[in-house]
Amino acid sequence: MIRLQNIEKSYRHGLSQTFVLRRVNAEIKQGDFVSIMGPSGAGKSTLLHILGMHDSAWTGEYWLHDDPIHQLSAKDRMRLQKQHIGFVFQSYHLLDNLTVYENIDLPLSYRDVKKAEREGMVADILDRFNIVGKKDLFPNQLSGGQQQLVAIARAVVAKPSLILADEPTGNLHSDQGKEIMELFRRLNDAGTTIVQVTHSKENASYGKRVINLKDGWIVDEN
Amino acid sequence: MLVQDIRYALRSLLRAPGFTVVALITLALGIGGTTAIFSIVDGVLLRPLPYSDPGRILRINRIGANGGLDSFSAADYRDLKKAATSFAAIAGYRSDIVDMTGRGEPVRINGMQTTAAFFDVFDAAPLLGRTYHEATDKPGANLAVINETVWKQQFGSNPAVIGTQVRLNGTPTEIIGVVPEFLRHPQKSDVWMLSPYDIPTSPFGMGDIDGSRDVHYFNVVARIARGRPLIEGQQQLKSIGDQIARDHQGNAGSTFGGEPLASSMVANVRTAMFVLLGAVGFVLLIACANVAGLLIARGAARRRELAVRTALGAGRGRLMRQLLTESVVLALVGGAPGMLVATWTQQLLISLAPENLPRLADVTLDWRIAFFAVVATIVVGILFGITPALQSSRPELNADLKDGGRTGTARTGLRNVMVVAQVALALVLLIGAGLMLTSFSRLRSVDPGFRVTEVVTVELMLPLARFNDEQQRNFYMSVLDRLQANPVTANSAMLFPFPFGGANAQASLDVIGQPDRPPEQQVSAELNSISPGYLKASGIRLLRGRDFDANDGPKSPAAALISESAIKEFGGKDPIGQQLDMGDPITIVGIVSDARRRSLDAEPRPALYLPYTQFVLPYMGVVVRSDRGAAAVASAVKTAVAQIDPDLPIGDVKTMEQIIEESTGEPRFRSFLIASFAVLALLLAAVGVYGVISFTVTQRVPEIGVRLALGASPRQVFTQVIGQGLKLAATGVVLGLVAAAAATTLVRGLLFNTSATDPVVYGSLAALLLAMAALACYVPARRAMRVDPMTALRSE
Repeated sequence: MIRLQNIEKSYRHGLSQTFVLRRVNAEIKQGDFVSIMGPSGAGKSTLLHILGMHDSAWTGEYWLHDDPIHQLSAKDRMRLQKQHIGFVFQSYHLLDNLTVYENIDLPLSYRDVKKAEREGMVADILDRFNIVGKKDLFPNQLSGGQQQLVAIARAVVAKPSLILADEPTGNLHSDQGKEIMELFRRLNDAGTTIVQVTHSKENASYGKRVINLKDGWIVDEN
Repeated sequence: MLVQDIRYALRSLLRAPGFTVVALITLALGIGGTTAIFSIVDGVLLRPLPYSDPGRILRINRIGANGGLDSFSAADYRDLKKAATSFAAIAGYRSDIVDMTGRGEPVRINGMQTTAAFFDVFDAAPLLGRTYHEATDKPGANLAVINETVWKQQFGSNPAVIGTQVRLNGTPTEIIGVVPEFLRHPQKSDVWMLSPYDIPTSPFGMGDIDGSRDVHYFNVVARIARGRPLIEGQQQLKSIGDQIARDHQGNAGSTFGGEPLASSMVANVRTAMFVLLGAVGFVLLIACANVAGLLIARGAARRRELAVRTALGAGRGRLMRQLLTESVVLALVGGAPGMLVATWTQQLLISLAPENLPRLADVTLDWRIAFFAVVATIVVGILFGITPALQSSRPELNADLKDGGRTGTARTGLRNVMVVAQVALALVLLIGAGLMLTSFSRLRSVDPGFRVTEVVTVELMLPLARFNDEQQRNFYMSVLDRLQANPVTANSAMLFPFPFGGANAQASLDVIGQPDRPPEQQVSAELNSISPGYLKASGIRLLRGRDFDANDGPKSPAAALISESAIKEFGGKDPIGQQLDMGDPITIVGIVSDARRRSLDAEPRPALYLPYTQFVLPYMGVVVRSDRGAAAVASAVKTAVAQIDPDLPIGDVKTMEQIIEESTGEPRFRSFLIASFAVLALLLAAVGVYGVISFTVTQRVPEIGVRLALGASPRQVFTQVIGQGLKLAATGVVLGLVAAAAATTLVRGLLFNTSATDPVVYGSLAALLLAMAALACYVPARRAMRVDPMTALRSE
């Protein structure tokens, strides 16, 4: 599904150059559940944002399915991102002035899905995530765990084949974290590929593979 | 999708009430002010006259050898009528005060005596009855048309008014029609009277006038024939004028010209109107920059939201659309109170506008203005929204998702640009206003050359039909005798014309014994008719020779006084004892000090004073020097007049101060408006400076905390914040000074005795703006001083 070849990212400071990622080569198969681990500053989140096409200032080759992302225009990348990828953030990043329903509806509206169809899809997700009763609440009326639940619902509503999660349980206490990880496992079991950045070995254990990064290099892969 | 964007926009405005209220007030003031001024400019300058094909109506002018515009003489008018083939109708008219009697109390109204084609030129359909026309009505038919207001007020809207006989200035006249209120061009009139001749009657009597080319006393309007282009009519007027000038020595050098009536009516105020529109446009731009600044600040706070939206699949176009929708929604919400502000401002402006502002009655708020307001609102929404939208729609995803927008030099930079722009624009307006106010104050301090305080004037016009020359003279002499016998009005005199009243008479200064001058070098003098005692009552000084006295009667040798500035026309000889050729020789008996007659800003011109017993006109007035007030003087004059002719009402009673006040109404009005806009601009700019500095302080709290923790004194922090604000303001001031030097060339023509680059005005207003900016920085700077390092660092 994903093939990375010699991915590098660096910043220039005058004459010097600081590398954030060095010669990253990796392959992620359809249905995989990969955890990216490593100390702070290892380049985990940077790699995730490159996979999510939020970042375009890098070198190397990135293939998603059979599309060469490294050769595509910003517009085509955006099209593929909308088609394949859902994103979950550590700080949930729900929009404060939208209700739960509207937050979940948002990715569909950006994909120009017709209103009637959207209503059906959002209703289905609300039902699946058991949050129908909260659909008219605003994010500040929810607990952290509930907010992350909504954020995941928002990430999967457009039926992406790949979910990228950046420390999805980082702001949650352990029980809530477990619930969220169980949810990811169920999504993975249903066929969704998941790539998560985590510091927690326990969370990594929900996945099938771990990629360890240090100073921008892949130091270990199992 | 758009509906969803609008819903989100409204919700986001409601959730940020502080921002919304400030933005709405700013926009309402900007949009409302602009709309109100546009409504005035539209009514005065842009709106077509309410007649069919109004572009075909021309005012025809006689252009003298020296390029000045003049009225028409009977013979010139007749030649014009005979030769002009490009015109469907040509009409002469003369304004007059009309006493309407024969229906109880005599009523004095404004009237116009016209030739028969007047309503062929102004083809308004009457409300009742009919209007008179050249094809159907012959001179001498004694017909009149009244306007709607007179019909309502004097005839109780009675339809039976048609066919009613009234006496207009003593002449029995039949009312044949009522025309709607909008017929008020070329100037407002209550009644239109068909002249008994093919030309309007002359105030000087018709005996000598009928075939004369020397006495110019009435105006001409015309309608170009259908299918004939304007330029053809104008060329024909010129060729007819040139031909008459060739045929008649007295017309040498003169010609005729035609200008569309609508533009000729507003020629004097056009520049001022566009300057006002420009000034209010500046206020709107400042308001836009202000709201843009607020939006940029808000955009910085919304960086996380926009990054999330992008991460969820929103393209740049989509984000732009949403942000612009929010701006336009904000502008439209601001536009609603803006229309209220426009309505109030327009009412205020109309009440403050000088009465002599042309076409003021055409000013209204209608669909044109509403359309302007809506378009202006949407444009404003896009204008202030586009920069923040362009900037905010390109989030730096990785960073914005991490820190939620706490940093961002570039964004502060753009906001700084907005503040600099506001300060620069505000300074241009302030300098414009400063120049106008300086000019106005210098205009008001001009010594007109006559006494202004404790002088009351009363108009005493006589209906020509009842008063011939002899009767006019006797009437005025009798009134003056009675007034001088009354202690309240002991110091009084007769005068024509009142200064600054618009009326004037001219005479060529032909000194007997001097060689004839070519037409373009001829000098005309302003002609005044005065009674003995006028110099004393008005404070004009007798420099040499003698004043008029009781011996200067109608049968005495013709005598004249000249003003100081006429001396140079006598070729270095002593004017006293010399004679002027005014048909008969007139001997100069005295020289008096100069006085301004037309306006305060016009240098005194050569003036000629004739005794009222020898040069009598039915438009004389009384000048009374008295400390008893206008009411007491008016009552004394009324009593004196009633003793002689109980049917005769007195005319307007004004103090000389009022006359001066009215004559400076237009510059006062525009100075007041521009000063108001400048104050508003100053406040908006101060709010802008305050906003950006306050925002910067909030963003820099952690940095300030570190500085304080490292040993910076609160005073150093204070100075640094004030310095930052002043640096922005100073940049704006420098740009503003340069822009003002360029922009104020546009107002040069409106300034009196004031340089468009007056360094005192520029310097003092730049200093004022900097002081205001320092004041605006004070509050956030105080806040910065009080940052608690521990709290600041903990929040980091």
